[in-house]
Amino acid sequence: MIQLFHVSKVYDRCVALHDVSFRIDQGECVILTGPSGAGKTTLLKVIFGAETPDSGQILVQNRNVARIRGGAIPYLRRTMGIVLQNFQLLPQKSVYDNVVLPLIIQGVKRREARQRVMDVLKAVGMEHKQKIRTGVLSAGEQQRICIARAIVNSPILLLADEPTGNLDADLTMEIVELFRRIHAEGTTILLATHNRQVVEQMNGRVVHLQEGRVESDKEATR
Amino acid sequence: MRPLYLLREAMNNLRVNRGNVLIGIVTTAFTLVCFGVFLLLYLNLKNVSGTLQSDIEVIVYLDPGASEQVVSLVQKRLKTEPAAVTLTFVSKEQALRDFSEQFPEESLLLEGMDANPLPASVVVNLSPRFLDTESLSAFAERVKQLPGVTHVAYSQDWVDTLTLMVSYFELGAVVIGMILAMATVTIIANTIRLSLYTRKEEIEILRLIGATGVFIAIPYVIEGTILGALGGGLSLALLKGVFEFLRLELNASGWFAGVEHILPIFPRQVSFLLVMTGMLLGCGSSVLSVFGLMKARS
Ligand SMILES: Nc1ncnc2c1ncn2[C@@H]1O[C@H](COP(=O)(O)OP(=O)(O)OP(=O)(O)O)[C@@H](O)[C@H]1O
Ligand SMILES: [Mg+2]
Repeated sequence: MIQLFHVSKVYDRCVALHDVSFRIDQGECVILTGPSGAGKTTLLKVIFGAETPDSGQILVQNRNVARIRGGAIPYLRRTMGIVLQNFQLLPQKSVYDNVVLPLIIQGVKRREARQRVMDVLKAVGMEHKQKIRTGVLSAGEQQRICIARAIVNSPILLLADEPTGNLDADLTMEIVELFRRIHAEGTTILLATHNRQVVEQMNGRVVHLQEGRVESDKEATR
Repeated sequence: MRPLYLLREAMNNLRVNRGNVLIGIVTTAFTLVCFGVFLLLYLNLKNVSGTLQSDIEVIVYLDPGASEQVVSLVQKRLKTEPAAVTLTFVSKEQALRDFSEQFPEESLLLEGMDANPLPASVVVNLSPRFLDTESLSAFAERVKQLPGVTHVAYSQDWVDTLTLMVSYFELGAVVIGMILAMATVTIIANTIRLSLYTRKEEIEILRLIGATGVFIAIPYVIEGTILGALGGGLSLALLKGVFEFLRLELNASGWFAGVEHILPIFPRQVSFLLVMTGMLLGCGSSVLSVFGLMKARS
């Protein structure tokens, strides 16, 4: 599903990724850990085409993202769900309008879109708030809406960068639970975090980055 | 679902950005009013010059010794000219009578002569289509060659001046039009750029969830187009109002009594042109300002 071959990225003299190689198979759940500045965000960015690596190849579903044309990036992103730390919602728009956006972009018919939005809102437990502006929701609720939006077009791959970064311990557990459920339904997950609680609870394969290098790569314990 | 969404986004942009949009509309309207005033002046001048020019006569003087056959041959030839609309034959006697009427003092001079020294002539009224300098002189040259014709007279200067004036006006319209269009494009493009700027985060989100540059850009292009069309509409309303007001005032003032139509022309095409130009300016400038979106990576 994802294969990285000797990927390096340097931001003016600051090495963010150095010769990173690993692969993620379909249905895996991979936790990317490491201290701040280790290159976790950069790694996710080269996978969804927001940054181009200086060297190396990245295959995502047999497409070489390292050499992708700018015009093909939107189509690449439609096959993935992306969740970031700062919620990335449109605060003036309703929960429903936020979640339906990826479907509008892809030209899904209104009736089908409505059904799918209702399904994912139910899955994240937010169906009763569909008409509320996202700007007034609590942090945990906002992150659940982001996750709903990321999975509304049934992506095969879910990328998440510090999805619990702004949340307290209880809410973190809620979100972790949500990711586990999504994984259980067959979605491949790559989640970057430096939160120990998340690493333990997710119970997946752990790739540890340190100064842009893969320091260790451990399979799930259970 | 997509077209509806894009339209709704455009409307939303207009609403959120309404202060700047209003400025954009007013500037576009101002530009188009200037353009429209110029265009109307031009059209009316052309119209007036058309009416004046249609009064221009070409006088073909005939040889006093020419036989009747030759005279009728000349008339026949003139009739075949596509430029000639009406022909009036003025005999020697008629010419004398006209002269005496117009210049009673000088007519005494003529009375002392045994024979009437004035030649007979044919007065030709030309179709307005042939009233430019070139066709006029070509026509005069052709007629001069005919047997029995001594010379051909027409008021060359007058025609030249009018032709020149109209062409200066055309040049002026193009230059002013281009300057104003550039100013408007700049202002609309800035309005749209501001709209883009206020929605920077939204655009980032759209990119993240797989929107193409074109999809993101369309609402802004619609916004610019609507802005331009509204500017065009406003300019039309202003121009039409001023135009009607001036016409009523001028007619009521009595200054131009006798001149049949002051500012007679406001063709429907002008209205159409104003709104279309507004729309095109709006569309073009917003395309310019969203151009960066099309290729940006991230
Ligand atoms: N746009 C950029 N320009 C310059 N340097 C950058 C840029 N983005 C990241 N870096 C640098 O690259 C290195 C890796 O950054 P990255 O954001 O990938 O770390 P991270 O592991 O996600 O850290 P955190 O846990 O704090 O989010 C850092 O040293 C950072 O300063
Ligand atoms: Mg990071």
